[in-house]
Amino acid sequence: MNLKLNRRDFVAKSVWGATASLSLPGFLQQTLFNLDARAQSLPSPGGEGPIFLLMEMAGGNDTLNTLVPHSNSTYNEERPDIRLTEANGILKITDKDSPSAAGGIEPLAFHPNLSSFNNLWKDGDLGIINGVGYPNANLSHFTSFDYWHSAEPNSIVKDGWIGRYLDNQCDGCGATTGIFINRRPTFAFKSSKGVSPTVTFSNPQYFNWSDRASLGREKSLERFYRNLIGLDHQVDDGISQEDDTLAYVQRAAHSAMISTESVQTAMAEGGELLYGGWPSDGLANSLKVIAQLIKGRSETSIYYARQGGYDTHNNQVAAGDPLTGRHATLLNTLDNSLDAFVQEMKAQGNWDRVVILTFSEFGRKVIQNGSLGTDHGAAESLFVMGGKVAGNQFYGLYPDLAEDKRVKRHSMDFNVDFRTVYRSILEEWMGVPASAMPEIFPAQPVNFDPLNIITA
Amino acid sequence: MLDPLPQESWSRRHANHLLLRAGFGGTPEEQEALFQLGVEQGVEAAVDFLLETTEDWSGLPWPEWALSEEDPNGFTFGNQGLRRRQFNHWYFKNLKEGQPLASKLLKFFVDHFAIDSAPIGQYYRFIGLFRYMEMLRKHAAGNVAGTDQPFEGDERLVGSGHYGNFRTMVKHVSWSIAMIRTLDLYVSTSRSINENFGRELLELFTLGIGNAYTNEDDEYTEEDVGAAAEAFTGRKIWNFRYDTGVNQAESRGLHPAATYQNVNLQDRSPKEFYGNTKMSDGSDIVDGDDIIELAFQSNRCAKHLSWKMWRYFASPEPSKELVAALASRLRDTHDYEIRPFLKDLFLSEEFYDETVINSQIKDAGDFITCLETQLGAALPTQDAMEDIMQQLGYEILFPPSIAGWPEPDGEGNTWLATGSMVFRMNMPSIWSHRNFDIFTTARTRNSMAEYADIDWEQIAPSNLRAIESFPLLLDTLTARFLPNRSLRKSQVRSLLDRYTTVTEQLGSIEGVKELVRLLLALPEYQIQ
Repeated sequence: MNLKLNRRDFVAKSVWGATASLSLPGFLQQTLFNLDARAQSLPSPGGEGPIFLLMEMAGGNDTLNTLVPHSNSTYNEERPDIRLTEANGILKITDKDSPSAAGGIEPLAFHPNLSSFNNLWKDGDLGIINGVGYPNANLSHFTSFDYWHSAEPNSIVKDGWIGRYLDNQCDGCGATTGIFINRRPTFAFKSSKGVSPTVTFSNPQYFNWSDRASLGREKSLERFYRNLIGLDHQVDDGISQEDDTLAYVQRAAHSAMISTESVQTAMAEGGELLYGGWPSDGLANSLKVIAQLIKGRSETSIYYARQGGYDTHNNQVAAGDPLTGRHATLLNTLDNSLDAFVQEMKAQGNWDRVVILTFSEFGRKVIQNGSLGTDHGAAESLFVMGGKVAGNQFYGLYPDLAEDKRVKRHSMDFNVDFRTVYRSILEEWMGVPASAMPEIFPAQPVNFDPLNIITA
Repeated sequence: MLDPLPQESWSRRHANHLLLRAGFGGTPEEQEALFQLGVEQGVEAAVDFLLETTEDWSGLPWPEWALSEEDPNGFTFGNQGLRRRQFNHWYFKNLKEGQPLASKLLKFFVDHFAIDSAPIGQYYRFIGLFRYMEMLRKHAAGNVAGTDQPFEGDERLVGSGHYGNFRTMVKHVSWSIAMIRTLDLYVSTSRSINENFGRELLELFTLGIGNAYTNEDDEYTEEDVGAAAEAFTGRKIWNFRYDTGVNQAESRGLHPAATYQNVNLQDRSPKEFYGNTKMSDGSDIVDGDDIIELAFQSNRCAKHLSWKMWRYFASPEPSKELVAALASRLRDTHDYEIRPFLKDLFLSEEFYDETVINSQIKDAGDFITCLETQLGAALPTQDAMEDIMQQLGYEILFPPSIAGWPEPDGEGNTWLATGSMVFRMNMPSIWSHRNFDIFTTARTRNSMAEYADIDWEQIAPSNLRAIESFPLLLDTLTARFLPNRSLRKSQVRSLLDRYTTVTEQLGSIEGVKELVRLLLALPEYQIQ
């Protein structure tokens, strides 16, 4: 998908652009002047264009019990107490088998709680990428997440891959091109140029400047704040030239000022959601906000949601019942929430605009530990979903568990570098030209060919 | 490196900087008093003495039930929400009313040794949490009073050492119910090892990873993680629910909810760890305390902890040379005693460098405590504090990860999510205008009905409120709220316009409140 737009039109039409021209904040203004030069692959304007939702499963998801290699002898031998079997009602994938790194095939099954994943698979809207990771897997949550977020494994990370993508492809686009529904930002959004227009908030109801209690007449403090932080000032743009820390906070204030307006407008326009069966847990609430923004024709093209709790060192399954326990609960929440989101997108007619990618900082070890759980591992399986996804297909090879047990300290080895997955989505879905890849991915894996995840 | 700042260089700017970093800032009177003390006495005061409050936290007693070693509620574990709010409130009361450096250290430890309420589990939640916090608090207070206090609670399993020592504290942490539950130690036995604690002990509490603070010292290996995990096996909790019928606990010398070593479940085999095959006295490397000892002997541990403390108290990116100099003080000069180390840090020329002053974004704990101090405000209600901290992303019982909260490290800072930024800018109106609409529930809004108003006469005396006196009024307010800052001309003009308008329409007291609210919403206010 390759969108061609007149950037000036786009900027002028976008929500915050209504007050644009001279009063643009400095950090965005500088980029207005070279818009035409790079009008190649813009993120979507409101209501059209591709949307990418990153679904982070934090803590290290045990993909071996998410996508079960049910007939693998190593799996069955090394996980006597926590394995899932046919008797547990695993959802066998019968139409295809994954190719295996050991040669041959690996029959797989979804966790019994992933029924909507299974349905999406059957509908051709879900693809599975096996054996995803990076060289010299790091088993620290924090370091490994840094690597996934920066897409620069085994180096000192300085910015995020989404941040670099937006810096590279998105000068002059709206203030809320990336949105993360959370209390703290993700490193993936971090931009070293400081211009990446991303926003992180948890509750849209409080993402505004209203002050009903004071002074009677003034309903919003926005105007005074704008003035004080230099947003509407003709000469003084309010961004310090000398003091990096101050400049950072000033940009954060500007970004807050501009994005609240953009978000509130889209939320108001979005209004009631169409799907009636939304669950009410934290993840579903995040996805609801995202769905409402999409419905309200938000300019946002990158969304990010997070579900924590996957660090299942203990009680991953309950004793004697692998269908209950922490992992089953997490997957149940994930399945229900994502299902509601998918139904909502379909009802809105936006399912063909959305690609969802699930990922975790690492998978877990092949062997169970002594506490009905698993310890940190390496490679994992990813799911990619969407109306235009080339689904009902396996990408990558299923790891050779017997070999990994022997030589990799029980961690699965990778055969698809995660940067290749990122690249595939940017190039095949977001329409980023291949020529931009060296800037977005300064550190490239040996095999960096796109995976053809999206239907042409 | 680390030469003391000469007295002739000491300035009000330096005194303000010290007040903000060794504590939570001060009123104009306190700023002046600290300056007048001079650098040496000033630092001594900041580290060892009482500034405006007492280091004796006995004025902040635990709820009665928290001190009991028995399950306080029978077996009902009722109203967890209330206890959670009490706990949270108690923590912020400590930050506000404790000896400033001790409070600052307590906040550091809560992050460095983060624990999570969920895995602690409801049986152990509050008894474990309160004991843990009490232990951290004693280490934060250190030997302020000059005497060693006897160990109590779960720390009784640790031998020599005393409060305020980093190594001793890691041992105490390793024996606490809270950490044993948070990092799964209670299920790790020689027969089935769970490596969660072993890994985080090395990564988070002692050696650290990466090369941000050293290029010379090896990282630990996966084998070292394995050895640490083996050494920390068989650490168990004596469940107070066992204590019915035959009192086994008493006959074994265990109080309810005690932690103890089950030797039968411990891996007693000799181990190799981080390049060592023996302890320094030639004995084998066997149990967890041995691993901690060896970790603390290493350069990497001294550098990691020095680096982390410099980042917390001073600036985000210390040079490797500076870290090495600090590490030498921490380990070789002070044997991991925290306060003597901090005294060196606060005296050093490097600490007063212009690149260090105003280089930190306030974390949520700094932000609110500083604000209360400067406003002379009471701590908001339990409900309000919980609400505020949820919106700011700083819930001490629910860290975002077991590495605690993002570091307050300047550019790229992750405290300032857009949503938090909006809340930080809106939040001062709680105090200036009693704007309780900012809270998310009616219960919270109602709880603030009796909340004491600010003493505006103290903050902006009536005789400064005439519009003609605006420059003087603004000077007075910036000295209080934005020490070491000057405002830009355009900001002064905007503030004057607004002050004039509101004062003319609603009177000068409303003008003052509006002015304070806007000052506290400035980006400059987020920085210390």
